[in-house]
Amino acid sequence: MLLLQQFVNSIMLGSVYVTVAVAFTLTIGILNFLNFTIPTLFMIAGMMGWALSYYGLPLGLSGPLPWPIALMGAVVLTIIASLIVERFTFRYLKTKYGDSTEHAIPLVSSLGFLLVLENLVRIGYGTDSRRFEGPDADLTMNIGGIFVRVPQLVSLAVTVVIVLGLTMMIKHSRIGRGLRAIAENPDAANILGVDTRRIVPVVFILTGLLCGLAGALFAINYGEVSPAMGEDIGTKAIAGMVIGGLGSIWGAVLGGLIVGLIEMMTVHFFGADTVQVMVWGALLLTLLAYPSGLLGHNTIGKGKL
Amino acid sequence: MLEVSHLDVTYGRTRAVKSVSLTVAAGEVVAVLGANGAGKTSLLRALQGAVRPSGGKIRFDGKDMTNQSSAARVRSGMVLVPEGRQIFVSMSVHENLQMGAYLRSDADIARDIEAIYERFPNLAERRHMSAKTLSGGEQQMLAIGRALVSRPRLIMLDEPSLGLSPLFVERLFDLLAELNSDDIAILLVEQNTSMALDVASRGYVLELGSVLLEDTAEALSSNTALTEAYLGGGQNTDQEGSEHERAPAR
Ligand SMILES: Nc1ncnc2c1ncn2[C@@H]1O[C@H](COP(=O)(O)OP(=O)(O)OP(=O)(O)O)[C@@H](O)[C@H]1O
Ligand SMILES: [Mg+2]
Repeated sequence: MLLLQQFVNSIMLGSVYVTVAVAFTLTIGILNFLNFTIPTLFMIAGMMGWALSYYGLPLGLSGPLPWPIALMGAVVLTIIASLIVERFTFRYLKTKYGDSTEHAIPLVSSLGFLLVLENLVRIGYGTDSRRFEGPDADLTMNIGGIFVRVPQLVSLAVTVVIVLGLTMMIKHSRIGRGLRAIAENPDAANILGVDTRRIVPVVFILTGLLCGLAGALFAINYGEVSPAMGEDIGTKAIAGMVIGGLGSIWGAVLGGLIVGLIEMMTVHFFGADTVQVMVWGALLLTLLAYPSGLLGHNTIGKGKL
Repeated sequence: MLEVSHLDVTYGRTRAVKSVSLTVAAGEVVAVLGANGAGKTSLLRALQGAVRPSGGKIRFDGKDMTNQSSAARVRSGMVLVPEGRQIFVSMSVHENLQMGAYLRSDADIARDIEAIYERFPNLAERRHMSAKTLSGGEQQMLAIGRALVSRPRLIMLDEPSLGLSPLFVERLFDLLAELNSDDIAILLVEQNTSMALDVASRGYVLELGSVLLEDTAEALSSNTALTEAYLGGGQNTDQEGSEHERAPAR
């Protein structure tokens, strides 16, 4: 029974990893670019959610905001932050120095952004963990002896809806086709009128949305945020993405859930210190058997969505 | 309709197109001929906005297009069928055609795509299959179909007969004649000189990036010295009639 409880918990934890892993895989699949600012965006969502609910709007424009509004505001701020990242890493460098998927320079500059943003938050709010006063975290449902916390259930539902919505959009909408066209052959896409400068921001808006939601879900579920909260989630989401297969959305879903499961089971059987060893060990083993991840395609690089 | 004056395209030190001027009138078919590396692809890519010209002017319907985006050019009715087809192999046949309508938002897209299927029954049969399952000739039809869905008034084709079997080459040139009778102007880059000059009314010969000659199609076809010296005889349909592909230049 305890094991089953752990299993349920792992799905909840995994859904945070899933959301962040999907953000990673989306940028890789479409732009062939590992966006290092993703963990920072996740952290910004959490910290801004806390700041808005603790202090309210800056310049005394409002008192502390109720938590749902604070989190919505945090998601919007995260999307804006993501667009700023696009403007100054991807767009500027791409239009000046390379083709639309040349990724080495944005990679490095996104790493720079990670450090700058993270340290700005540290300077602004200190390095301590902060309590996030969300919904009553003890709100639980007892399903046949298994305790499921309502916020967790809502998180899971939100994650499922987001991932389904995203895959539908990519598969069936005009923008989705444009994104896939850019992913496969930017040059041919451009000739047909797909404007990279218009469509690349869409990827970053989606990235901001996913990271914002993940950060908000994290704050609700764990009731605690900190400037360092992105580091651990970021590396595990990357592990999940790689296990599932780079550039595959369903791969990121599967990989994120697997990492959540490994983490919970490891904590249960061996203790928390062993988690990183097990997660990355599982990653290496997976890659030995499936070099391109569980659901990945065997081409590295473009056109995988 | 299309007026190009003194167009230059440079890649670093390479001057691929040197002060090329040409015109295409509404409904006209114009051929651009030239040996490998003459600058034909660079010219077309500059016309579609895929590379920035380093000098010169491009006007379409009297509007200056020189600094406009590809999207703006597609919207005003220019479209390029690129060298090597460049269809999206990760998409279905139908999705490829939908990509041709990327900039359209009117209600007739589905009808126009059906019209493409009527023109190319092979594509209709495979509309939900991946585009990579098509043969070379079918892929070329898809690339042309995709371009047509944008409702162009000028279609530019870069060596469309390359790597096609003689049967498909025949069908391709029939198709070009059909498109022209629908009042679509055509700027055709070809190494298959004789067939290109059959369908065209005028032609330009490029050599090392410059216009060497410009004349009516009849005059160019009867100029045997030219066809032999600069155009390698003009038989470029594939040896043995197979459909193998040549890698795009570069
Ligand atoms: N992206 C590029 N960068 C640098 N040089 C290029 C590039 N594309 C073409 N060139 C050079 O420009 C010149 C013209 O090339 P282009 O592809 O336009 O010729 P082409 O007439 O289309 O040849 P082909 O018949 O082989 O297709 C060649 O010398 C080529 O090497
Ligand atoms: Mg060429």
